Amino acid sequence: MRRRYTLWAVLFLLVVYWMVPAGAVAAEDMKPLIFDEANLLSPEERNELNAMANEYGAKRETDFMILTVNSVPNDDYELWTENFYDEYAPGYDKPHGNTVILTMVMSARDGTRNVHLEGYYKAEKYLDSGRLTKIRSKITPDLSNGNYKQAFEKYIKTAHRYMGFEPGVNPDNILFNIWFQLGSAAAIGAIAVGIMAYRSGGRVTVNRRTYEDASTSGIMDHQDRYIRTTTTKRKIERNTGGGSGGGGGGGVTRGGHSHSSSSGKF
Amino acid sequence: MPVIEYKCPNCGSGMVFDGNTGMLSCPSCGRKDNIEQIPDPLKKQVFIEDEVKEYHCNSCGAVIVTEPETSATTCSFCGSAVVLSDRLSGNLAPVMVIPFSITKEEAMKAFKKWCRNGLLTPGGFMTADRIKGITGMYVPFWLYELHNRVEVHARGTKVRTYTRGDYQYTETQHFDIYRKIRLNYVKVPIDASEKMNDELMDKLEPFPYQQLKEFKTPYLAGYIAEKYSQNDEQLYPRAKEKISSYIDSYISTAVSGYTTVSYTNKQIDTTLKQADYVLLPVWMVHYDYNKSEHTFAMNGQTGKVVGKPPISKAKVAAWFAGISGVSLLSLKLISWAMGGGFL
Ligand SMILES: [Zn+2]
Ligand SMILES: [Zn+2]
Repeated sequence: MRRRYTLWAVLFLLVVYWMVPAGAVAAEDMKPLIFDEANLLSPEERNELNAMANEYGAKRETDFMILTVNSVPNDDYELWTENFYDEYAPGYDKPHGNTVILTMVMSARDGTRNVHLEGYYKAEKYLDSGRLTKIRSKITPDLSNGNYKQAFEKYIKTAHRYMGFEPGVNPDNILFNIWFQLGSAAAIGAIAVGIMAYRSGGRVTVNRRTYEDASTSGIMDHQDRYIRTTTTKRKIERNTGGGSGGGGGGGVTRGGHSHSSSSGKF
Repeated sequence: MPVIEYKCPNCGSGMVFDGNTGMLSCPSCGRKDNIEQIPDPLKKQVFIEDEVKEYHCNSCGAVIVTEPETSATTCSFCGSAVVLSDRLSGNLAPVMVIPFSITKEEAMKAFKKWCRNGLLTPGGFMTADRIKGITGMYVPFWLYELHNRVEVHARGTKVRTYTRGDYQYTETQHFDIYRKIRLNYVKVPIDASEKMNDELMDKLEPFPYQQLKEFKTPYLAGYIAEKYSQNDEQLYPRAKEKISSYIDSYISTAVSGYTTVSYTNKQIDTTLKQADYVLLPVWMVHYDYNKSEHTFAMNGQTGKVVGKPPISKAKVAAWFAGISGVSLLSLKLISWAMGGGFL
């Protein structure tokens, strides 16, 4: 009995730990991580997101940055972001350290709006181009609808979550989903208890052999006649990219800092 | 006189059947008689055709209170074991009997142990201190011998897949299947008492048939016995239904090695070879819990207990939470091992 209570206590603590995000960061320790030159956010939204980026970034030892601009020279947002990294020297651990940058360019010369993501150092390893692309496709619908704050929150949370997975695994694997885990655990519990309740009244312990008179029973005659063979063929779909493998993206800044990347329009 | 009693030749006390020794024994002086060797008083009786309305105890003369199905009981006034012989003769004569081998004390002990082992039963139930009554009862059963001739036609496929170049090939071989099977079942038990719960009685099986004895009334001394209320013809459909799942499962093992099998024709021809009327030993336990009565049955030879015990919501919740918690922990460990992070 006692041991069961101990188990309970441990489980409870684990659940609490999973549910409650780590303690808030005091305001004076906060780094500016949101640079909203394009004015997509209200000052309150900016503060809120900045606090959130600080809090989640601390847990992954990575600066989660958001840059919004109206336009960049020659529409080369990749070069622009790389130069920003070289010159501003962001990083959680040190200047030119662990950083992931979300760059929004609101009006390119061809009239499109672009979103671009880069990960440096720890973020390059844990947020490779494949994962950055996943994040981008998750936030693109919100960006297209103008729900910038929501999109940025999603970006911070998803980046934080993905960095909790070892590089190379698919972070969206259903096995890693807490709801899937909770659901399966509950299903296993329900089935087990159901079987216990069903069997509590005693169960049938005779089978088809119990009353069979084996000495006089048996197969008297049998026939297995071959008729025909049918064959169908199906083209094998070769895996085209997908998953977490970094497709395309990535590069090196003029200052020699290597990074992963993903970009697209919205 | 259709009432039989067993008086001890030594001391005159009423003798009863003792499950431990399998003998008719006298509780007063300890005399034990081998039942297989003493002549059954039933065989010497001559019966009047009229249905007897009232039975009187040979010892004290009191009216024996019985239900219409009762064939053996004890006198409620003096406690003598009585057997109502007219309800055990003619058409109602059992062919065989499995005597009790578990005594009342042993049955009580076994039942208490079973209660304690209940994983979901409430704590108060587990102490088993509210046993209202425990009755040893010979329940009437029909043992059927059923011979079956089975003919089955089916279509089967064997599927093989292989890869050549960019294509995956699925090759399906089609077969025409025929099986002719002889399938005989012996001593398939069906309880013949209307008031017994069929599901409960089915779960009591199997009864050890090697313990079947030629029927003699002294085996009933000290116990309750009932006569059948449904005859072998009435219960024949139940017997057929019982073996039909056995037959189906035999057929599917007879048609093995195929990926899929679909039966086009299944012909089962059952003949009833024999139906023997037997009495099988069952302890009935009545238990009061939370103002409602629960009935349990125990196989009088094997000690197997069946019946729905009360279920404790708290225990269900505890087990559910415990098993789910451990599962969650395991899933977490698996995802951690796969590189998914533990928390
Ligand atoms: Zn005696
Ligand atoms: Zn009496």
